[in-house]
Amino acid sequence: MPKVFYTQPDGSERVIEGVVGDSVMQTAVRNGVSGIVGQCGGVLSCATCHVFVDEDDLAACPPMTEDEDEMLDVAATDREPNSRLSCQLALVDGQDIHVTIPDAQL
Amino acid sequence: MSYFGAASDAPVVADASYPFGPRPAREAVEQYGRVIADRPMTRVTMPFGGDCWVVHRHQAARDLLADHRFVREPFRTGERVVPFFVQFPDFLRTTLQFEDPPRHTKLRRLVQRAISPRRVREMRESAVAFANELIDGMLEKGAPANLIHDYALPLPIEMLSNLLGVPSSDRASFERWSSSTLAVAGKTEEEIASDMLELAGYMGDLIAQRRKEPREDLHSSLAHAHEKDDSLTDAEIFPIAFLLIIAGFDNTANFIGTGILSLLHSDEQRALLLTDPDGLSATAVEEVLRHGLFERGLPMSGGGNLVPFVATEDVVIDGQLVAAGEAIAIDPSCVGHDPNVFESPARFDISRADNPQMMLSYGLHHCLGAPLARMEMQVAIAELFKRIPDLKLAGEPTINYDHLSIPMTSLPVTW
Repeated sequence: MPKVFYTQPDGSERVIEGVVGDSVMQTAVRNGVSGIVGQCGGVLSCATCHVFVDEDDLAACPPMTEDEDEMLDVAATDREPNSRLSCQLALVDGQDIHVTIPDAQL
Repeated sequence: MSYFGAASDAPVVADASYPFGPRPAREAVEQYGRVIADRPMTRVTMPFGGDCWVVHRHQAARDLLADHRFVREPFRTGERVVPFFVQFPDFLRTTLQFEDPPRHTKLRRLVQRAISPRRVREMRESAVAFANELIDGMLEKGAPANLIHDYALPLPIEMLSNLLGVPSSDRASFERWSSSTLAVAGKTEEEIASDMLELAGYMGDLIAQRRKEPREDLHSSLAHAHEKDDSLTDAEIFPIAFLLIIAGFDNTANFIGTGILSLLHSDEQRALLLTDPDGLSATAVEEVLRHGLFERGLPMSGGGNLVPFVATEDVVIDGQLVAAGEAIAIDPSCVGHDPNVFESPARFDISRADNPQMMLSYGLHHCLGAPLARMEMQVAIAELFKRIPDLKLAGEPTINYDHLSIPMTSLPVTW
């Protein structure tokens, strides 16, 4: 079962066992992880599920599309090289992924 | 209003009926709780457009709004009348709200970047400055003031003018076009037709102008969109511009008014806000969206829903079969008082931390202007109470029920 490690801006961490095929955003929203809004439900039109992915886990993430890239430019918190929109990070079997939630999504 | 049932002096029986008639706000929240415990949704015969499932539970609402098997095509094509509590204005059916993917995705992306969280953050400073100008004006003129006219309405209109790149001196026309096109009563067809024609002319001129002299504003991106994507036609671009002008400020103004009124009704929450207006404004706004209407000191009915969808196949949501061809919508007020998600849902708490309210909807049709609306509401509430901490009500608000968004038209205040 995939596991997502969510770190809040204050450093606190929650670990959620996810479902294969669900995204990091869906897993957060279903389990009440605060700080990931995902208002558009995962169709790349809100930029409110921005996360910073741990460097070590980046390679295992699916490649970024042009649309995700464009939306990351307009997120509320400035993007970093390890920024992703968590609705685009579908979980695969056995994956552990560590993400940090930015200060602001809205 | 027969749809909600008649108000009655008889004691309210502890039932789970829905929709339900006006009653004290706290009792309405309790009724929501019973309805939610009983079932995920109710099939309601709407005053217009026939039957519609209305979803009560938060998770069921989220499931619905994230499921692409629910579409709006039959409403857009006119094959079906939109089930709604008023007759849905025809022209709204031509806008983005009634498109489905993939066309929806293409059109929405055009405007989304211009109203993005980042763009809105850049506009914040000018919103603060303008809010303070308006407050200066009210203080100069002296109490009492009509907070809707003097504050809640001009602020979002100014921000919209900035976004669209038009002079805010066109404000009076914006107000007229908007109130005319969203009117559900009280306007003649001739008045509406003439206002719509004028708005179409204004918009056409604006787009033509931006094609000649592009600027850094939303209409310029719309005007030049066909260069990036030659499948986009003016017929697709116009309704977007149209929607932005007529819907770009009145809901925001309503919620600014509702937010201020709800805070004026709660000494405890107002005192809390005053301890840190800037720090608390973000959570305060989410709470106003979720629950503000219940703190206006007015009775509340149970009913009312966002724009419906139609199921393209049989879908089971939270155990309930929604058959192919049936209409379904969420009641955001009920969803926002689901005790499985919101602790003490009847409590007005401007510091509520986890507040996934759905007043701005969710999923691919969530409010296009959400980041802008939130920022404007945060600024409006924080600046007003910072500058006039002893603001008080000077009478009862006036509400216009002949308008699609049921706006407050006056909110008398003093200090």
